[in-house]
Amino acid sequence: MIAVLGLIVGVVAGLLVRPEIPAVVEPYLPIAVVAALDAVFGGLRAMLDGIFVDKVFVVSFLSNVVVAALIVFLGDKLGVGAQLSTGVVVVLGIRIFSNAAAIRRHVFRA
Amino acid sequence: MNPNEKPEEGGEKPETPETPAKPETPVVPGTPAKPVTPEKPATPEKPATPEKPVAPAVEGGESAPAASAAAPGEGAAAGAPSGRRRLADALWPPRVTRAQLVVALLLACLGFGLAIQVSSTSEGSALRGARQEDLVRILDELDDRTQRLEDEKARLEKQRSELESSSDQAEEARRQTQEKERQLGILAGTVAAEGPGITLTVTDPVGAVESDMLLDAIQELRAAGAEAIQVDGVRVVANSYFTGGGEDMRIDGTPVTAPYVFKVIGKPEDLEPALNIPGGVVQTLEKEQATATVERSAKIVVDALRPAKRPDYARSSSP
Repeated sequence: MIAVLGLIVGVVAGLLVRPEIPAVVEPYLPIAVVAALDAVFGGLRAMLDGIFVDKVFVVSFLSNVVVAALIVFLGDKLGVGAQLSTGVVVVLGIRIFSNAAAIRRHVFRA
Repeated sequence: MNPNEKPEEGGEKPETPETPAKPETPVVPGTPAKPVTPEKPATPEKPATPEKPVAPAVEGGESAPAASAAAPGEGAAAGAPSGRRRLADALWPPRVTRAQLVVALLLACLGFGLAIQVSSTSEGSALRGARQEDLVRILDELDDRTQRLEDEKARLEKQRSELESSSDQAEEARRQTQEKERQLGILAGTVAAEGPGITLTVTDPVGAVESDMLLDAIQELRAAGAEAIQVDGVRVVANSYFTGGGEDMRIDGTPVTAPYVFKVIGKPEDLEPALNIPGGVVQTLEKEQATATVERSAKIVVDALRPAKRPDYARSSSP
């Protein structure tokens, strides 16, 4: 419950504050958000599976974000940033879908 | 997902103790999966997946009668509620644990970033989230497009100025042609004319006026600058001829009778003296017992017309 409240608080704060994103961070924010979403879905699945460990969640969340941003950063430096970010999004999307499928089986038993 | 869980959760809530304290579970029969706390999943929950019907039996070591009693009561939904139950447990009784706090913090970060990204993507143009090389490419495309449009604009403007000048020229030529046509038409007698001039009236009570006298009058008038002449409704032009005399006077084959009324357009101050000079037209006519009266007028209308004759052989040599 507190976790859900935290999500809501974050969304509301983001909508209300609307800070100017630094130009350096700007290209990586969408990828980081997708990576974090992947971590969250993974955590939700682990919770439903009963194997949720908060430390694992924290580490996977942060490492997902960092690695995704790093890949995009590297891609930018190599000149294939657009393609690499597309690849990252595809991979994370696949993971999100499979996690969502597992969650769905838990919740709806279907 | 959460709304789906609410009803079930509401049903379970009274039975669910505020803390997952194990000793209470046997007392409450409606919580078969209660021991499966989401926060501490590490050890005994592994087999508690819904696909394994053995799970309740395994847990039954702890609260076997409760689980067996609850399963038929909840029907199909309670067959393997562990996933849902974990979710419901995690959701409803708000517990301040380290895991919840950490997850809340991270989710707050996620929500924050999500909201920022969504608002920045939706509020600004599509360019806001674009990458640097995309922006450069878009800029290049815009430059190209601008260049093309500029070229097209210059071309169209040139075309327009050409058309304007050519239409101006054509208009000017047409105007000049019309002007010329009117001048020539006055000379040729194909158009009516009006302007200052004189009216010369020749009466012939004894029938003594001959055609050469009228011709002399015409010549005199022309010499004095007459521009358009008509006599009794017959337009007098360059090739007009006078035949007969007296009662049978004809101009261009058209019979005219006295009094002969000359309508002449020209400068009245020149025309009148030309007729009245000693030994001139008026005196000659008066010698023949005819009378000639000259009357100036500010507006003479010469409206007798001659048909325009198309020459059979002669063609204009100018292009």
